Amino acid sequence: MAKEMIAMLLAGGQGSRLYALTQKLAKPAVPFGGKYRIIDFPLSNCVNSGIDTVGILTQYQPLVLNEYIGNGQPWDLDRLYGGVHVLPPYQKANGSDWYKGTANAIYQNISFIERYDPKYVIILSGDQICKQDYSDFLRFHKEKDAEFSVAVMEVPWEEASRFGLMVAGPDDRITEFQEKPKNPKSNLASMGIYIFNWDILKKYLTEDEADPNSENDFGNNIIPNLLRDNRRMYAYHFNGYWKDVGTISSLWEANMEVLDPEHSGIDLFDEGWKVYSRNSGMTGHKITGNGKVENAMITDGCRISGHVKHSILFAGVTVEDGAEIEDAVVMGGSVIKAGAKVKHCIIAENVTIGENAVVGAMPVGDEKGVATIGSGICIGAGAKIGPKAMINNNVEAGEEHD
Amino acid sequence: MINSNSNALGIVFPNTYDAMIPSLTNVRLMASIPFASRYRMVDFILSSMSSCGIDNIAVMVNRNYHSLTDHLGSGREWDLVRKNGGLHIFPPYANNTAGSKPYTGRVSAIAGILDWLRRQKEQYVVISDANIAATFNFNKLLEAHQATGADVTIVYKKQEIPGEVLANMDHSKGFYYTLTQENGRVKNIYVNPKTEGVQNFSMNCYCISRQLLIDEINTAFVRGQEYFERDILLPQLGRLNVQAYEFQGYAARIMGLKSYYDESMKLLKDENLDALFANGPVYTKIRDDNPTRYIEGAIAKNVMVADGCVIEGDIEDSILFRGVVVEKGAKVKNCVLMQDTIVKAGADIEYVISDKDVTFTPYKEVKGTDSFPVYVAKGQTV
Repeated sequence: MAKEMIAMLLAGGQGSRLYALTQKLAKPAVPFGGKYRIIDFPLSNCVNSGIDTVGILTQYQPLVLNEYIGNGQPWDLDRLYGGVHVLPPYQKANGSDWYKGTANAIYQNISFIERYDPKYVIILSGDQICKQDYSDFLRFHKEKDAEFSVAVMEVPWEEASRFGLMVAGPDDRITEFQEKPKNPKSNLASMGIYIFNWDILKKYLTEDEADPNSENDFGNNIIPNLLRDNRRMYAYHFNGYWKDVGTISSLWEANMEVLDPEHSGIDLFDEGWKVYSRNSGMTGHKITGNGKVENAMITDGCRISGHVKHSILFAGVTVEDGAEIEDAVVMGGSVIKAGAKVKHCIIAENVTIGENAVVGAMPVGDEKGVATIGSGICIGAGAKIGPKAMINNNVEAGEEHD
Repeated sequence: MINSNSNALGIVFPNTYDAMIPSLTNVRLMASIPFASRYRMVDFILSSMSSCGIDNIAVMVNRNYHSLTDHLGSGREWDLVRKNGGLHIFPPYANNTAGSKPYTGRVSAIAGILDWLRRQKEQYVVISDANIAATFNFNKLLEAHQATGADVTIVYKKQEIPGEVLANMDHSKGFYYTLTQENGRVKNIYVNPKTEGVQNFSMNCYCISRQLLIDEINTAFVRGQEYFERDILLPQLGRLNVQAYEFQGYAARIMGLKSYYDESMKLLKDENLDALFANGPVYTKIRDDNPTRYIEGAIAKNVMVADGCVIEGDIEDSILFRGVVVEKGAKVKNCVLMQDTIVKAGADIEYVISDKDVTFTPYKEVKGTDSFPVYVAKGQTV
């Protein structure tokens, strides 16, 4: 039985700009927003849009991601026909290869896609925080009788040259693609989300693979080739919340925006568009008589005796007496010991911040940074970690790092 | 057995003591009473069994069980979707011998599943109610049962009988039991005793070999007897080797609205909460709530709060279940607020147990006392 559309989710990226956070896991597995991982967003979008077949292309540090996805049940993707499938590179009769680029990753899984005989394939990326109805995107694609559509966001003109830009006419037909141009002709930034007619995608993937000079990349190769052949290509305007969380500062910022849904537009409380995740299974969080919580998101399993201000605490975080947390993202299982000060920073999973240690600092004028502590790290008692530090090794008591 | 499988199956009675807590069981049964901010009572017994490798469990529902079947679903959350075994929900079974009315005691209930019991392969059966929240290591119970060569092992806890039980419980509402023992062997069982003070209070949890259970139930059912303890164990204490096994862990026993409130409040002490979960995780149905949000101006002191709440008011010494909303200027003190309770702006509530989907209107004042908390029924607007 044919599927109308299946999704292929590119989740192989290392996310090297998140350095300390992605030493042991792939970027899509990075925790976000109190109880989610980044990949929960595209997966939940798929399910909420009615897509029940998703291939997840993994390559870099897939262990955490594989375990997290499991059989796909938390996203309702444990299906008899379809469901979620993790697709790492594999050995074939005529040799084996890592995924050389985004297009090559899909090319190597043509046989997976063909099992479902889809009419359309949507290509998603695993590093964006976004709630998007892909069924509306598909409706647009069909209405335009397109062969290829790309979701685009209008960005401010002065920032346009940081993006891959789609130049489109008033009928949304794309006439040109500019990758991070000096002189932008458009302010429609590609979100890296594409719908292809499967026959077209297959044809171009196969051609691209045969070209030894190709980088096997959607942006650099497939899209220019489609343009060259004057294919029916359309830009679909998306104007909801969208954030690429590829850097420490954008990841921190996106988390802070969760605290202010009324203004930032990322609403996790939306009953009509739930974001699903694998649950911690912990009991409700506790705030003791000494604890103080102001403008914060607190997840199951937390124990709070200190002062938490404008921060996000993931499941099972402990904040001891007298500890102060402000403008911080503290991921699951971390312990902030008594008297520690944790400010304007990201603390990864299962970190211990020793007594009276200081991590990060509130910005003073232009002097600001998001201090980052990698997962499982111990910061000794009284240690001092500067606002620009990226810590990936244990820090002894009393040591100082800038 | 290899890995985790236990050589016992479980039989759970979710309706026991419903009559003692009519307000909370009006729309549900004991097993689906919400407890500890995000669980239902049945989660504790099912999780304990599942964690101990008891993965073939019969739940003997009797009345008001829609909420429970909805909660349990296929049993996936407790890892009880198994090809061999898994979760079985047995509603009262209408046939010529068992009759078509809800069962009255464990004898007729188990008599209704004798065919099923005969077909199982586990050597032992662990029987339990669902009114006690505890994490229980059943493997230790099974070891003790085998080591003593017991026919039946009764689990008890040294504790006082709650005042409301002494005051209100009579035969029309059901039975509770205490026991005396000598070197571990049960000497006597007392039915609905009115004695005060710490005593060996039966947890109504038993270990027995499957074959012996089948035989005893068969005999008792033919004789028209009803109750496992009163009619099978008590008269045969001389013939059967009935051993007593003391449960030394933390147990929150719900025997009425007062004990529900008291046991809930006890969890605000970290040592109690830690002790409750000491023997393993407790699983429950997932609601996919977002984390709880504290908006500017919220004050929270000594509270336990599940995911999915939005707090803008003042909460103190309280337990909030999933999806509770406390608006600006509202005050909540010494309360247990179940799922999706809404406390509107300026409302002031103290010593209140609110059931699911209750709304307190703006500036409403509702106050109970420590000895008599106010209960607000499911879906009410106050």
